[in-house]
Amino acid sequence: MRLLLAMMLVVSVVAVSTLLFTQRNLSARVRLDFESELQVEVSALHALQRFRDAALAERCRILAGKPRIHAALEDGALDLLYPSAHDELRGMMEAEDGAEPGPGNLGADFYRFLDPKGGVIDPGGASGVGRLEPAEESQLVLPRLPERPQTGYVIRGAATLPETVDEVIAMPIVSTEDGETISAMVLGFRPPALGSEGPGARVKNGIWTGGRLILPGFPAAACEQAAAEITRAIANAGAGHGSFEFRFGGSPYLLFFERLNAGSLYPAAYEVSVHPLAEALSSQRQLIWEFAGAGALALLAAFIASEVISRRLSAPVERLVIDSRESREHWERAEAALETTSRELQRSARFSADASHQLKTPVTVLRSGLEDLLAGETLSPEAREEVSRLVHQTFRLASVIEDLLLLSRMDAGRLKIQFSRLDLSLLLGSLVDDLSAMPDSRGLRVETDVPASLWIAGERRYTELILQNLLENARKYNQPGGRISLAARAEGGWAIVTVGNTGPAIPPESQKLVFERFHRGTVGENVPGHGIGLNLARELARVHGGDLRLARSDGDWTEFELRLKLAESATVAVSPP
Amino acid sequence: MTRGIMLLALAATALALAPACSYGQSAIEGRVELPKPPHAPVMNKRYGIVAYGGVLSPYPPVAVVYLEGAFPRVAPLPTQRMAQKDLAFVPELLPVQVGTRVEFPNLDDTYHNIFSYSPAKRFDLGRYRRDETPVPSEVFDVAGMVTLRCDIHEHMRAIILVLDTPHFVLTDTDGRYRLQGLPGGRYVLKAWLDSRTTLSRAVDLPLGGVLRADFP
Repeated sequence: MRLLLAMMLVVSVVAVSTLLFTQRNLSARVRLDFESELQVEVSALHALQRFRDAALAERCRILAGKPRIHAALEDGALDLLYPSAHDELRGMMEAEDGAEPGPGNLGADFYRFLDPKGGVIDPGGASGVGRLEPAEESQLVLPRLPERPQTGYVIRGAATLPETVDEVIAMPIVSTEDGETISAMVLGFRPPALGSEGPGARVKNGIWTGGRLILPGFPAAACEQAAAEITRAIANAGAGHGSFEFRFGGSPYLLFFERLNAGSLYPAAYEVSVHPLAEALSSQRQLIWEFAGAGALALLAAFIASEVISRRLSAPVERLVIDSRESREHWERAEAALETTSRELQRSARFSADASHQLKTPVTVLRSGLEDLLAGETLSPEAREEVSRLVHQTFRLASVIEDLLLLSRMDAGRLKIQFSRLDLSLLLGSLVDDLSAMPDSRGLRVETDVPASLWIAGERRYTELILQNLLENARKYNQPGGRISLAARAEGGWAIVTVGNTGPAIPPESQKLVFERFHRGTVGENVPGHGIGLNLARELARVHGGDLRLARSDGDWTEFELRLKLAESATVAVSPP
Repeated sequence: MTRGIMLLALAATALALAPACSYGQSAIEGRVELPKPPHAPVMNKRYGIVAYGGVLSPYPPVAVVYLEGAFPRVAPLPTQRMAQKDLAFVPELLPVQVGTRVEFPNLDDTYHNIFSYSPAKRFDLGRYRRDETPVPSEVFDVAGMVTLRCDIHEHMRAIILVLDTPHFVLTDTDGRYRLQGLPGGRYVLKAWLDSRTTLSRAVDLPLGGVLRADFP
């Protein structure tokens, strides 16, 4: 009897503690997976938002360079400023009618200009500038004119309710006469309606700014409570992003916040997404019950076993083996359940790639529509010229999307390189030829120092893309009449390519950021681009087993160093028979 | 009585013509010290109006020298022309007398849209092509500097200097000029160098003589 009690005690203690440990471990893993899924979703939304911002900023940049707007500001004709801008912005302001705001619709809600002190230039009675209440207009004011585009968030509809938040971009207008910033054009856009479908359907997205949280579809009292907690979290941590749990009306929520306009002269704004936790908690609870059930079963089995063992002392070890096998089966079942959940979670990681795909189709449709239009004979010569400019723009948009697609494929680890032997010298030669043939080379001198027959291992189009991006940068950020130097050499199994150019150096604090996605240098404010090129080039170099780094940038010289693997048996050149 | 009036009228005409006879006999020549170009031209050489530090100036530097005073109006004034060729204005600096009509023919194969927001003359010719008839034109009837731009080609810039005098001339690139066919008398001679700089000096023109006047 004593033996029976002792065995029951030992078996119970071991079984219960194993189950408790396993259960705790599993809950923690489920919780972690859930949080990382949400984080992936928020990041995907952010990537899309940044892409949209880059596209909007590009449009604003083009508008800010329009001759009529410059003439009104530079030739003392402020009375013609808004009427001129109205003509230039007509297409953009009309786009808002009827179209739902989204990543594809870049229509503006309103626009204003800022005076040299950063105040709003009164549009007077000008039509088509977009109505703003005085309280809304005052949110556009900046402490001074910006040198770089600024992103801000304006709360609208305080009088009419419900309140919404418009994104504004203040694009500096730089005088063509003396290079001084003379004004800024502020364009307001409705933020895209995202997160209303897909894995985050129950997720609510909103914006926190100036201590207030605007989150459509969320009770006002909950917004107030969440806003106060975000304000506290930001003040405490001073972080660019973070997350915390909070309860409202008895329900738990998980809240993520991430800074939207870091470094902006406009008040700080945070993207906020709120996820109801009730369902996740209930599935966790279910898991605990399943475990408890399994535990009870195991215990019961253990008791019976110990009973049997105590009766048949001859075969105690056998029974124990059976018990442990049963426990293992339970464990494997739980593992399989976890596997299914994790597959589900991974699906959302594809969100970013899908978003790029969805952008690609409309651009293709747009282009073929425009080309059909061009093919017809109904167009006036003016319209034809306008349409061919639009076709040109779709090519640019498509190339940005291509880059983004490539990046997201690399992010997902789905880019496989087809390595082959490439003649780097030949490749560099043809790229230099292309560069010299560009109409806008501004008298740049290209110096090359490339040995003949330098063979590397890589995939031709991606290697070409890396080199194109580097040369394109060297051209874009160069000074007129400047110099581009291109050198290559073999060194211990590597082909080292250096691309240098004259032009203003990258400030030291920006040097470590040049490879960041969507980072754009301050020296090239008027240079077109999207801040993807260098990031893409480095990612591609790394996928090739090589690397890309900024070798130096001081004085008026900037140099990048690209490292690619030499092809095996590099010295054996394939020669024709 | 009628004859008396006629005689008087004849005498008055003769008097009025008397100074006109001396018209066209005096001349001024000299040299304007031209400013050094602020920097080497960064753009293609064909751009003749460059901007630096908020100042529009001709490149290479030239000046417009003109004589200010009350001169009888000669009508009609000949039509001037400022063409668009190879995406630039030709000429890019055009001095004209108040009341002159300037034509803006497009000699390129692309559209141009010439406009100005300058206080001295606001206009907008709209888009037009090479063979536009009649050739778009404007009359410049207020003195001052008019900056011309093209709405399609943002780099295009030209200056029309509208002057309230028939006596003006462009210097060569060394700054040398000669103004002739002038009436004798006291006047103010001015030299326009760029959008912010106009030099001036008083001159006493001897009847039928040649005066030498340098700036500064």
